[in-house]
Amino acid sequence: MYTGPVGSANLPQQIHDYNVHIDANQVFWMIRVPDDAVDVDFRRGRATLRLADLEVFDDHDIANSLTYGLGLPGDLGFPYPEIPPVFPVRATVSVEVNWNAVLEAARIRNDSQRFEGLFLQTETTVRWSSRQQGFAFESEAPNPARNLISVLGRERNGAFFEERERAELRE
Amino acid sequence: MSRTRIHRPGGSRRAFFGRMATVGALAGGGLLCPTAARADDGEEGQPNPIPGGLAPFAPFAIFIHHNPLNPAVPLANISDPSQITDFNGFVGLTHIRGGGTGTNTATGASMPLAYRADMGFSQGEFIGTDGKHHEATFGFV
Repeated sequence: MYTGPVGSANLPQQIHDYNVHIDANQVFWMIRVPDDAVDVDFRRGRATLRLADLEVFDDHDIANSLTYGLGLPGDLGFPYPEIPPVFPVRATVSVEVNWNAVLEAARIRNDSQRFEGLFLQTETTVRWSSRQQGFAFESEAPNPARNLISVLGRERNGAFFEERERAELRE
Repeated sequence: MSRTRIHRPGGSRRAFFGRMATVGALAGGGLLCPTAARADDGEEGQPNPIPGGLAPFAPFAIFIHHNPLNPAVPLANISDPSQITDFNGFVGLTHIRGGGTGTNTATGASMPLAYRADMGFSQGEFIGTDGKHHEATFGFV
């Protein structure tokens, strides 16, 4: 979240960064949710993610999120602004994301990244809110024009990619 | 807005990388990880991250197992949008911007704010760190 007009993503202007943190196994910003939090109708290119009052951290900004609260030094000649360290605080977020209206479809097989599947580029709308001690945020009404890029996929990767590869070799 | 600030220690390159290594190890142990604390309980299975990803603040030793969507990349050329490997199921990912209203709940003062967000989900079968097959739904937040 940034001070500034819509489209702002200037790191020194960031004042909130909500996420569930990278877990002990290095899985990035993923958390188990109830199965009914996600509803997928892939044939129609639709899906919904609904989360209510999910416990997250506010790391203040992406630099502190990814440096575990250390911020970034600004005097070492690197192409990043100085970002002071900030300790994370607890917050909750509620989210509704709707993927719909297929714009494009592509079947992808990527042998170097070892994944394959059918992928749909879609329109998407988001409504979300956050709450923490002393601060609350409510997003504007869902607006398809705010979507930068969104994708739905039916995919397999890793061991499941290799399993399919082995089956194809046997055939 | 309520947040706790800690004093930024003085900054040589060596000191910074040393702190990174220490804190990275602590975080890797799960001290700041509510996700891991929940997922490790019981026998639900813990997923493995995708092997690839990016280093957003190179040369700092920060690597994230995530391929953010890029509007400039054609759909047919996207990298794996899943955050977890050994996975077979549905994945959704969005990269979106927008606006809204932030409110100081102590004073009632409000102000317009902008946001950029990456959100998504994975729903399906995965092979966990225990080597077993599991079915689950994950939110990417």
